[in-house]
Amino acid sequence: MTAGEPSRATFPVWDAFVRIAHWTLVASVAAAWLTRHAGDWHEWLGYAALAVVLARIVWGFIGTPYASFRQFVRSPATTLDYARSLLAHAEARHVGHNPLGAYMILLLMLMVVLVSASGWLATTDAYWGIKWVEELHEGLSNTLFFLVALHIAGVVFSSLRHRENLVASMLHGRKRVPDQEDIA
Amino acid sequence: MKTAVLVSACLVSLLATAQLHATGLATCDSGPRETWQAQEKLEKMLTDRGWKIRRIKEDGGCYEVYAFDDKGERVEAYFHPKTLDLVPTSRYPRK
Repeated sequence: MTAGEPSRATFPVWDAFVRIAHWTLVASVAAAWLTRHAGDWHEWLGYAALAVVLARIVWGFIGTPYASFRQFVRSPATTLDYARSLLAHAEARHVGHNPLGAYMILLLMLMVVLVSASGWLATTDAYWGIKWVEELHEGLSNTLFFLVALHIAGVVFSSLRHRENLVASMLHGRKRVPDQEDIA
Repeated sequence: MKTAVLVSACLVSLLATAQLHATGLATCDSGPRETWQAQEKLEKMLTDRGWKIRRIKEDGGCYEVYAFDDKGERVEAYFHPKTLDLVPTSRYPRK
């Protein structure tokens, strides 16, 4: 635990699968971006990112409680209420993903699937060298990076609001035990 | 400890890949475009060789060609715009 955080009991929230999947995805997407003009590496990194997301989706149905979609995907009404409480600076701390963060996760996973699929399309005989496929792949990638920036902003915001380092939590998996006002 | 391993694994993979090509597969020191040979000439040269051209664009001062070669294999190849010589890349010719 880093200094400055309230010295409160913590408990495991993010399982090893979730954490390894998260950081493997970060590494493969970042590396795919860095190799965006360099053929084979780029392709394999894209497939790796896709594989991580597909595995994570399966884990969302069979994994530990906080990894499960049914734990963190809330109804639109609940999500809207959360957004309103956020504007009023009165949002509850969620031990798992908060409702907006949860939809961002779904969106990021969808984007990785779309970016990988369009990248794969560009390697098929039928779409080899076709300009719009390349442009689609680039447009989807840029959208993904925009969403990643929003995701990071959300993580920083929530970390400050609830005085806990969420990046560290995604590394060691532990979070502060919930208060009465928190949503476990 | 686990944390340190995870973090360093991410950093290493990032740094390792940062060493790979940051821009296109090749660059050509080809000067002003007025001195280049016409794209159509390259296209004809490759078509005569049995290639089916999908698209030719410019990348890094080179002509970048997406095509199928005489065996029907997908090819992404770079050519120097002045000499129309093949510029070898990691993708073509295949080793």
